[in-house]
Amino acid sequence: MSTAALTSHDATSAHASQRTAVFGMTIFLASEAMLFAGLIAGYLVLRLSSPAWPPSPDLPHLPIFLTGINTVFLISSSLTYHAAEVAVKKGRGGLIWLLITVLLGSLFLGIQAYEWTHLYHEGLWFNKGGAYGSTFFVLTGFHGLHVFLGVMMILFAFLRQLGGAYTAESHTYLVLAGMYWHFVDVVWLFLYTVLYLI
Amino acid sequence: MSSSATVFVPGDAPAHGHEGHHGHHPHQGFFFTYIWSTDHKMIGLQYLWTSFVFLLLGGLLAMGIRFQLAYPGATVPLIGALLPSTVAADGVILPGGYNMLFTMHATVMVFLVVMPLLIGGFGNYLIPLKIGAGDMAFPTLNAMSYWLYVLSGIIILASFFVDGGAASSGWTAYAPLSSTAAYNNNTQIGQSLWCVGLFVNGLSSIAGATNYITTIINMRAPGMTMFRLPLSVWALFITAWLLILAVPVLSAAAAMLFTDLNFHTTFFAALGGQPLLWQHLFWFFGHPEVYIMILPAMGLVSEILPVFARKPIFGYKAMVWAMVAIGFLGFIVWGHHMFVSGMNLTLGAAFSVSTMIIAVPSAIKTFNWMGTVWRGSITFTTPMLFALGFVSMFVIGGLSGIFMAATPVDLFVHNSYFIVAHIHYVLFGGSLFGAFAAIYFWYPKMFGRMMNETWGKIHFFATFIFFNLTFFPMHNLGLGGMMRRIADPTVYEHLRALQPMNVFVSWAAFGMGLATFIFLWNFIWSLRHGKPAGKNPWDSTTLEWTVPSPPGHGNFDRTPNVFNGPYEYSVPGMEKDFLPQDEKAPEGARLEVH
Repeated sequence: MSTAALTSHDATSAHASQRTAVFGMTIFLASEAMLFAGLIAGYLVLRLSSPAWPPSPDLPHLPIFLTGINTVFLISSSLTYHAAEVAVKKGRGGLIWLLITVLLGSLFLGIQAYEWTHLYHEGLWFNKGGAYGSTFFVLTGFHGLHVFLGVMMILFAFLRQLGGAYTAESHTYLVLAGMYWHFVDVVWLFLYTVLYLI
Repeated sequence: MSSSATVFVPGDAPAHGHEGHHGHHPHQGFFFTYIWSTDHKMIGLQYLWTSFVFLLLGGLLAMGIRFQLAYPGATVPLIGALLPSTVAADGVILPGGYNMLFTMHATVMVFLVVMPLLIGGFGNYLIPLKIGAGDMAFPTLNAMSYWLYVLSGIIILASFFVDGGAASSGWTAYAPLSSTAAYNNNTQIGQSLWCVGLFVNGLSSIAGATNYITTIINMRAPGMTMFRLPLSVWALFITAWLLILAVPVLSAAAAMLFTDLNFHTTFFAALGGQPLLWQHLFWFFGHPEVYIMILPAMGLVSEILPVFARKPIFGYKAMVWAMVAIGFLGFIVWGHHMFVSGMNLTLGAAFSVSTMIIAVPSAIKTFNWMGTVWRGSITFTTPMLFALGFVSMFVIGGLSGIFMAATPVDLFVHNSYFIVAHIHYVLFGGSLFGAFAAIYFWYPKMFGRMMNETWGKIHFFATFIFFNLTFFPMHNLGLGGMMRRIADPTVYEHLRALQPMNVFVSWAAFGMGLATFIFLWNFIWSLRHGKPAGKNPWDSTTLEWTVPSPPGHGNFDRTPNVFNGPYEYSVPGMEKDFLPQDEKAPEGARLEVH
């Protein structure tokens, strides 16, 4: 049996195999959504069953303004990533947009790290501030790990694109990394809303 | 037959005749053939063999449990000296060690045996063959899924040897017993490894499920419409959705438990947290998990009954929709595990009703299985016996489930041996009997040889009899007031009269353990000495039986065209009594499904 027979009906073209990959990524993101749904549900239960939030008046409030700016950075990075994808689809390199996306993602992580240290010095940590501290650090920590992974994926794309790996016809990896990156951004909108705003 | 003595390489010469000109794929060397294989059949077999190893380990843990309950304080014979110091001292099982035994027995059986065997093993092996595809959609992800499973098994079992020993808060890991190490013999490291192990195991499940759904949606052969899919594929498809939606919630809960143990967060702490939150998160996963373990077995059994009754499955579409309904309802019944947790009893009533509604699709399935074999020309082969065993044991387990769905009854039997009896009737009598049926049924396809029928029947009857002798009396023990998870029943005044029954149950369990060796011996012996099977030893209709046994690399020489539904047996107006899915019906044949 020739190897061609193996793939005769499942991947007749790069387009079909990209469609399959996008489908698989969607399923995977559904499970990622359930992971965050579990974390957010836990947070809401703890928050709603607490008589006051923050549970004690001397605990610091979360910095709505600074993180609001940070949220804008993260959302912008979705737009710059989209610009990179559009550039590649038009046959250009999109290198600069990939680089800006990596920088914006890193900036988001940097500001988060600053915020964590700041809150730590004000007496909020995993083990300080009860459920308030626990939920904040675990939820933002989980999301931060996802952002870190996303930045690594896009950095990888950038490095490969230096050698011109992605063309207008073939760029499945970029599409998949993009889906992941947009997903991580959307999750952040939920987290910013429930953790900081309400 | 020189090749018959060797192990079975996909695409290598099969152990028998020369049907079809199946492929000789380029020789890939030991590493890529057996270790990092991306062929779905090899990955399926890897899952199968690995889950056998864990089945033996999990079974040994069960033997330890039964020994302790029959003879508390006695020295464990033979292997007593080998037990880790956290479990036993001088060969005598410690109370804390006993807690590790039942915790790890359940964890191993659920996450390292039943799920990988049914979903990993049969899912990987059968899905591409049954839908007419060359492989899974993402072969590399598939290999990764298997190795994550192995890694999770190593992490979970390693915990026996760490400081403090393995997790010992039960497989349900209720907080704050699990989340505060000081409450539980300082099993902090073991419980943390349990969390990490389940997290890694969850990644493996999600990777596998992503693959299954994508493959089934995108890679079906021409003519293989969704309603021509064999029921096993439907079952695995629905199971994969349950995995995608339920497993991540366990991962989230395990992550919280991990930080509670190691960073002293207070998610589940009695002060500043919510111990009940753990139960909600765990059972939001845990109840779908029950169906994750039974649905694949239901699907596999639905394949086997029509073959040996020579009749179409009764009510194909009803079977599909019943599984969809079970899968959906599984997400809204988790509270029935928590009636005694102090939850609002009005909410409890809602959970009680939603749980009882599951009896409807379950009954549809049961009656359809009976309708399938009703007035069929039945042959009692080993797979058929196990399939019938599955149906009958599932009925008993299902009925005792209704007892527990009724809140007033549950308040009485909760946390008693009645629960232990119920869970084993569905998980062993159900899932594992289904798995055994499937192993005897698809073994010829996997290895090109039949398993020995005589030893198969001995294995069936021994298992069936000892199974019932083990687990049926547990109902009585539970109603007699025996609690779960007690290391020494003889210290309780009210249980002393029941002790002879405990001894009886233990000896029956030892018998069941020994019966497993008949199976393993038969499995290994038949690799070399079984009767050559040929392509289609059971005269079955689905696509995997149209290719050589074992199928070559890439499965099909050319993509099959599918013309019929999967259960065309004893078709009126046909000479042959079955019509393969890729064969056009002759003039005048009256088909069941179009």
